[in-house]
Amino acid sequence: MSAAGDAGPSEAPAVPIHLRAARPTDVPALVPLLLRLKRLNEEFDPLLKVRDDAEEQARQVLAQNLADPKAVVLAAEGVGADKDKVVGFVRALLRERPFYTPEWEGIIVDIYLLPLYRRHGVGEYLLRETTAQLKAKGAGVVIAEFPAQNEIAVRFYAKRGFRPITAVHARSL
Amino acid sequence: MAESRAVPVAHPRLSRRRGRTDRAAARREDETEAFGRRAVELSRFYGGKIETVPKVPVRSLEDFALWYTPGVAAVSRAIEADPELAFELTGRWNTIAIVTDGSRVLGLGDIGPRAALPVMEGKALLFKWLGGVDAIPLPIHVKSPEEFIETVERLAPAFGGINLEDIASPKCFGILEALQHRLPIPVWHDDQLGTAASSIAGLLNALELTHRTVGELRTVLLGAGAANLVTARLLLALGHDPKRISLVDSLGILDAERDDVDELMLRNPWKYRLALETNGGGRSGGLAEAVEGADVLLAASRPDPSTIAPELVRSMAPHPIVFALANPVPEIWPDVARAAGAAIVATGRSDFPNQVNNSLIFPPVFRGVLDARATAIPDAVVLAAARELAARAHDRGLSPTHLLPTMEETRVFPHVAAAVGDACVRLGIARHRLTHDEFFERATARMGRPAALVKALARAGLTPPMPPVPAERKRGR
Repeated sequence: MSAAGDAGPSEAPAVPIHLRAARPTDVPALVPLLLRLKRLNEEFDPLLKVRDDAEEQARQVLAQNLADPKAVVLAAEGVGADKDKVVGFVRALLRERPFYTPEWEGIIVDIYLLPLYRRHGVGEYLLRETTAQLKAKGAGVVIAEFPAQNEIAVRFYAKRGFRPITAVHARSL
Repeated sequence: MAESRAVPVAHPRLSRRRGRTDRAAARREDETEAFGRRAVELSRFYGGKIETVPKVPVRSLEDFALWYTPGVAAVSRAIEADPELAFELTGRWNTIAIVTDGSRVLGLGDIGPRAALPVMEGKALLFKWLGGVDAIPLPIHVKSPEEFIETVERLAPAFGGINLEDIASPKCFGILEALQHRLPIPVWHDDQLGTAASSIAGLLNALELTHRTVGELRTVLLGAGAANLVTARLLLALGHDPKRISLVDSLGILDAERDDVDELMLRNPWKYRLALETNGGGRSGGLAEAVEGADVLLAASRPDPSTIAPELVRSMAPHPIVFALANPVPEIWPDVARAAGAAIVATGRSDFPNQVNNSLIFPPVFRGVLDARATAIPDAVVLAAARELAARAHDRGLSPTHLLPTMEETRVFPHVAAAVGDACVRLGIARHRLTHDEFFERATARMGRPAALVKALARAGLTPPMPPVPAERKRGR
């Protein structure tokens, strides 16, 4: 994540979208959005190079997540001419923290919004709804995961009270 | 575009039907080569193009007690107490820096700062000759946009303004924005603002001639480089409906749905913004799909006369406006565009009617902001310059072949400078709030000085006449 991140601060989205839990029938529409996000991540670091079979992987991972009670997958539908079109999505995972408290964390691993829907506060709305659902599932902390070089995401989350708590450093082998 | 720093290019795709223009192109290449050889010869003879000249009397070395130590200490102390006095007590009020990293020198590409110096010297000469501005060429060796910004920031105390030159897009946008934000003096990037302002000036008159208003236009911009991205921004500022603008680049029509839009968000936020705002109908495809029914085509793309096919002009709205501004060769030859129905055609070249030339903009703009001691140079000032330039074309009678004043119409410059000064006062960014007449008179005086100076130096034998072209080359031509 994140490519929903250049939204200005806003209470409710100015471009209305319809946000709902994703269904297995959404998978074909979600896959291209997920791939767009991963290709964006690829821009930041060669270690985030997208695999050739990423499309098939995306299908499988999404299907798994949709069946997993410890995952939150939301689909954002457009309105008007884009009614019934999935224009964005969020994928978040619940994980136990055996050594720290709060004991459960909700990790937002993917958040993506088609460009035309950005800059209207929709990203903010997506984040708020996701956070609420993670909290309802028992998370006491929400974590956003994205490429370290993604300054837009850094700014998006910093504005909303997020701060770096752990750092993941890598080198290729 | 515009200033003709021409380099020869091959035109393999020219058809035999256009043999005439083909021969013209070949002749132009010969000419360009001859100009080049002569320029090297003269650059060697004169040892560059500019030098600093004292502007105070020096009767004897004793005068240096005033111009230098000990007298100068009081001048420095005065400025230390009131930094604004630098604009009164030193040449800062009339001195600008021409700063480049040499990363995109017109017609030459990424040649680096050392090789960019002759171009910057030439620009300094233009600044002096046309605007009466003392411009210091400063090609700098920097590795990143951050280093560029920091370097210019450190140099700023000596200057009343900064002219950025020949910097690659899109980094030029970030550099300009950061410096405009950080420095208390006008910062300008000619490849963005000068070119865009002269295009807008030409367009305003083209609209008048074809009885159109900005509000109802459908406009296509071909090429999404420094100039056209700013032209698009200025069009929006003039009230153009963003949805009725389409930008076309090498990948086709720029649109929010395009696959590279996420990458643009990171690499070129200026283009990204336009991708989201423009192309309202969601047109997809290339130039052909974009121009169908359009009123205006503004091309600032690549020097290839087959870029815009005549059929495309035919597919535009009645009486279309076509600006083909690539240099040294336009995207479509003017006679071809006119034969295909274009009502108004402009290019970047002086050998066709309607040259869109940034040299009509940057000298008076700097004259105006320096005389106003402006703290900035917002788009409203750029538009004021464009509007005044457009208005001055009426003085000699506006027509489809006289869209803009030419470089020879130097009487236009003080008018544009005064309009810029007025705009700075109106916007509250002038440290020096002169009246329109004062701006005009000051500009007229400052702009008249260089020609008198050059003449006087020649008459006194201080500037030797140009050595003759070697006899054997003359015979060859």
